Amino acid sequence: MKTFSKLVWPYMAWITVFIVAPMLLILLYAFTKEGNSVLTLQFTLNNFTRFFSDSIFPSVMARSLKIALMTTLLCILFGYPAAYCISKLNDKQQALAILLVTLPMWINMLIRTYAWRGILSYFDFDSEIKVLIGMVYNFIPFMILQIHTSLSKMDQSLIAAAEDLGANKTQTFMRVIFPLSIPGVIAGITLVFLPAVSSFFIPKLLGGGDYVLIGNLIENYFVSTGDWNFGSAISLIMAVLIIFSMFLTKRIDHQIGEEKE
Amino acid sequence: MKALKRKIGNGYILLMMLFFYLPIFYVMIFSFNESKSLTRFTGFSLVWYEKMFASRPIMEAVYYTIVIALIATAVSTVFGTITAIGLSKSRKILREVVLQINDIPMLNPEIVTAIGFMLLFTSMNIEKGFMTLLIAHIVFCIPYVILSVMPKLRQLDDNIAEAALDLGATPFQALTKVIIPQIMPGVVSGALIAFTMSFDDFIISFFTTGPGVNNIAIYVYSSIKRINPSINALSTIIVVVVTTVLVLVNVIPVIRDRKKGKNEKIS
Amino acid sequence: MKKLVKILAAGILLISTGCSSNEGSSDVDPIETYGCDVINVYNWGEYIGEDVVSNFEKTYNVRVNYSMFDSNEEMYTTLLGGNAYDILVPSDYMIERLIQEDLLQPLDKSKITILDDLAEGVLNKPYDPDNTYSIPYFWGSVGILYDTTKVDPAKVEEMGWDILKDTEYAGEIFMYDSERDSFMVALKALGYSMNTEDDAEIEEAYQWLLELHQTMDPAYVTDEVNDAMINAEKSLAVVYSGAAAYIIAENPDMAYFEPLQGTNLWNDAMVIPANAKCPALAHEFINFALSYDSMMDSSLTVGYTSAVQSVVDELGSEGGDFYGNEAYTPRTGYEKDEVFTHNEVLKKKLSELWIKIKVS
Repeated sequence: MKTFSKLVWPYMAWITVFIVAPMLLILLYAFTKEGNSVLTLQFTLNNFTRFFSDSIFPSVMARSLKIALMTTLLCILFGYPAAYCISKLNDKQQALAILLVTLPMWINMLIRTYAWRGILSYFDFDSEIKVLIGMVYNFIPFMILQIHTSLSKMDQSLIAAAEDLGANKTQTFMRVIFPLSIPGVIAGITLVFLPAVSSFFIPKLLGGGDYVLIGNLIENYFVSTGDWNFGSAISLIMAVLIIFSMFLTKRIDHQIGEEKE
Repeated sequence: MKALKRKIGNGYILLMMLFFYLPIFYVMIFSFNESKSLTRFTGFSLVWYEKMFASRPIMEAVYYTIVIALIATAVSTVFGTITAIGLSKSRKILREVVLQINDIPMLNPEIVTAIGFMLLFTSMNIEKGFMTLLIAHIVFCIPYVILSVMPKLRQLDDNIAEAALDLGATPFQALTKVIIPQIMPGVVSGALIAFTMSFDDFIISFFTTGPGVNNIAIYVYSSIKRINPSINALSTIIVVVVTTVLVLVNVIPVIRDRKKGKNEKIS
Repeated sequence: MKKLVKILAAGILLISTGCSSNEGSSDVDPIETYGCDVINVYNWGEYIGEDVVSNFEKTYNVRVNYSMFDSNEEMYTTLLGGNAYDILVPSDYMIERLIQEDLLQPLDKSKITILDDLAEGVLNKPYDPDNTYSIPYFWGSVGILYDTTKVDPAKVEEMGWDILKDTEYAGEIFMYDSERDSFMVALKALGYSMNTEDDAEIEEAYQWLLELHQTMDPAYVTDEVNDAMINAEKSLAVVYSGAAAYIIAENPDMAYFEPLQGTNLWNDAMVIPANAKCPALAHEFINFALSYDSMMDSSLTVGYTSAVQSVVDELGSEGGDFYGNEAYTPRTGYEKDEVFTHNEVLKKKLSELWIKIKVS
């Protein structure tokens, strides 16, 4: 049987070249000066001090975080009731509803965002509102599906027990159903928050030229300005930020889990 | 009281569906518009469909999207499955490390993965084009295949493969005749995920492709500056194809089961 | 699953046969003549006639991979990213930069047959003194496009660039989303050279644009401006002369004005990069794209002023499509108009300031 373990070797070489090396390159670019050839590397922290010494860049970051948080909250706010209502349907209707929620996800995200341009042109909304609509539209299916899974996996006897013990509907929901569905909500948060922070074509398509998020900043430094070192530094900052917030949500998840015990 | 609640619930679901399908219907309606306008419907026409089929950039984008998705799916399914089998027989440390690295493309913001590829190809002096696009797609598809095959391998009874080897099967036979058939559902669902990931990708493709090789998403992105209702026509076709395939996939098993049920009843 | 694969395979077959059907209409063997049968052309978006590329393919029995860029800077970075093209169409200052960095190859003038057709005024410019590397394609100016039903022409002429800061038109303005063009507007409005390296002047221009951003609520656009202004979505727009000519031809309510404070006189020219794989065919492409027939098609489709004199004469004179269209014949010889020069440090500074303006 051990012979099979050799089957991993090609993939180890593959990920070294195509996953590890690119990440190392970003790291390398972020910590070096611009315009250097590979042989004359000059290490520097300038790219990072440049990012934090100017209020502009942190404010773009803050704006990205804000819109990602708002998107996540709206997705929970609208997605939870939807998932809950779906879970109350009979099996056949549930399957249909889930199919209908999934179907748009098979259509390219760019095309779906493009579709909103026509509709939103009727309204005189702020860029931010338009971007928010686009983000919620694109990401809410993930939230609904995650919450729905956790709701439908729930042990129905717990709910029955709560009702037998005299809890009313609200109490049952608040004390039993909602806490048990939290893992689904958290899984949904990671699936919504993560792409929302780094998204760059939703703001570009719906927000117009002056609605800049951190993803647009990265694109700008790689595509038009051509400052790959600074672009890499921004990417690195964003990646760290995201890893940190993922870590945070995991901690919250754990804590809730412990409280339950 | 309960009936009212149910009504509110159903009404809410309906409202949600309206939100989901509003832009899709909007695009479909305006794909039949006679004029170029995206806000005024001036009359029914198929002109944008004609233009779409006559447009070489669009047809090429469709072609590349499908070809890349098919090859990337095939390669990543085979590669991913083999790797997953290998991983399940490896030492724990090695397995953990590989799986951690394997997670990176799924956890990283797409744009970071994308520029990583771009820096890699540039620093290796590889000219960007079809091959770089394909490699990038294979790289981000494999993790999903591994992720969906691993659980099936964990459920697998090691003894069966051992027994096959004891009975004189070569390792290759044990692999193809014993292990793979048992993990097939995981392999298939991995392949499906890989296909959709590749078919839908924009950001990574945008940074890894070269002159003359565009997929649908890149084409749409590069032509948003001008009103181009051919994109509506293309979107409509994609929506129709996807819906048909999904409905078939979901309905055929149901019909088959029913028929089976009937046949069994008769016999 | 099997069915899905079958359907997809059928689809691919269909498309791939569709793709190859437009080849083989000429019996020239391009490989024998030019050593290759594919060229990569990288041009501005909306910058060529609808049939020029396909006609070239038919005539020479070759394939053209046609890609488009949005700004000189985008083109430059793509080039750095290792993509090899055979034809690029950068602007003056970018050509200057590409020459300085040895990224272009000298043209084989013996192979360029259309040199004599070019307008006098577009040749031998400072960015490429003897046209060693570049053959002019389109040229023009930058100016203000305005809706004559909403804005008084006398006011535009009197205020020039400063009308962009007249709060009467707040929310009614399209600015061009590029650091160079925006800073050009600001520097000219303030009476400075658009090639200034003076930090104080740049800072003043930055403040000018910042104030515009904060008080006027402008929309920053590039090629979107064409459809938007044809539909008269806003009253004022900073546009390139050719875009203006196109818009005016579609919507006669619009008018174009080059402010007396001066503007950017630009040239976009065809060049062949040093790493081009098919330079022989690239020379033929230049000849073909600048031939009278192709140039008529292109100039008529996009509205830009051709470098080929006979085309401008034909379209701009009585009976021509752009007769009386002030944007088709940009101002020349005005002392306050300038051409951009390449300056790496300045470019970096402006691009950073431009992001700051948009974000604030």
